Amino acid sequence: MSTTRHLINRRRRTALPADESPAPGRPASAAVRARTRPRPGARPADDAGDAGKRSPGPARRPQRGRAERRDARERGSGSGAGAGSGARSGSGAGAATARRGGRLTAALGAAAVLLGCFAAFAAVQAGGGDDPAAENAALVDAALTSEVKGGVGEAVEAVFSVDYTDVGENEKAARAYLTGDAVEQHRRMLGDLRKQAPKQKLVLTTTVTDSAVELAGDDAARVLVFADQRNTRTDTDETSYGAAMVAVDAVKDGDRWRISNIDTFG
Amino acid sequence: MRLRKNPLLAMALVAAALAAVLAAWAGTSWYAAAHDDAADFAASRDDALAAARQAVTNLNTLDHREIDEGLDRWEASATGELLAQLRKGREGFEKEVREAGTVTTAEVLSAALTELDDRAGRADVLAAVRITVAAPGEKPQAKESRMLGEVTRTGDGWKLSALGQAPAGDSAGGDAGESRGGQAGDGGQ
Repeated sequence: MSTTRHLINRRRRTALPADESPAPGRPASAAVRARTRPRPGARPADDAGDAGKRSPGPARRPQRGRAERRDARERGSGSGAGAGSGARSGSGAGAATARRGGRLTAALGAAAVLLGCFAAFAAVQAGGGDDPAAENAALVDAALTSEVKGGVGEAVEAVFSVDYTDVGENEKAARAYLTGDAVEQHRRMLGDLRKQAPKQKLVLTTTVTDSAVELAGDDAARVLVFADQRNTRTDTDETSYGAAMVAVDAVKDGDRWRISNIDTFG
Repeated sequence: MRLRKNPLLAMALVAAALAAVLAAWAGTSWYAAAHDDAADFAASRDDALAAARQAVTNLNTLDHREIDEGLDRWEASATGELLAQLRKGREGFEKEVREAGTVTTAEVLSAALTELDDRAGRADVLAAVRITVAAPGEKPQAKESRMLGEVTRTGDGWKLSALGQAPAGDSAGGDAGESRGGQAGDGGQ
């Protein structure tokens, strides 16, 4: 009985480092305990006798757990362990870091590809920039549509109305409301009439009855115009009526819409 | 420090960040486009106008040799009051065209909407139409026609619910009453 206890104590002394005194309550190293503990034949009474000199059971536990954890880390199974300590250790841990970096690179690459695909898809779906329907503001922009209608109507009535008492008025209107091809088109349409007007005492009056804006932008538009024309020869007192329809292109010049092309569907 | 050691990782990080920014931008504009009322309205306008052009063409086209198909096409292009008128007058009109032996074709020269009520599904249209009538033994005659129509949205797309000639000539300054459905009879003459 006593023999056993002495043996144990001696073993413990020799196993301890020279400078480390086995102060009561201070836990012994895990290695010693590991060796002493599973000793076969040690009876419960012996252990109970020694227990007083060592730290109480529960106190040993954390220490032992920490040691095991350190063991596991040193074996190089890096997964789950703190990244910082892994990077600092030897060659095995370095390989783990490289592997981790590779996985991160792959994940980021995959994310980039996926996000890029989504971006492309969404951009195609959005596609608002070159949607011709969206670019045409006709009716969509009520204010612009009505401005175009009003401006073009005013221009059509002015340039297609001639009064023999002041033919110059029509020329003035042409200069104010026409531009580009429309200038020559208008001259061909009304040149003869303007020449005959004073002789026949002609009064041509054009009234827009309906118009619809086909295309409207901030500075260009296309409008279909229905107009009635009344042509009176005052010298013979004859009046003829005509139903006209024209499609005109118009451009914004300052705050005025000017006709740039006249299509009479001829 | 790790990034400097691993240029591939740095590149992947930059690429992912760039892709994320792009995706956010494209996603935002997709959302904006999908919730753009003006774009929806513009699309309705173009749908209604396209249907109106086709229906006006159909209703001014008739070949006495294929009169059933032609009149079926008329009815398929119409709805509401106009459709009722077409059905009512079909028998008599069929007889007229058979006797006249005419072939009428139409071309819409220009057309645009004057009004669109997207919610109610109704729009008014102006159309410049060239109608060519070929009678047996005569030279085909073309005339330009100013038409006013109304299209209504049905379960089967936009269809003409009214069509007539714009009042012309001596009505300058007078009442511009629209004769609805009147043009339908005009097509075969």
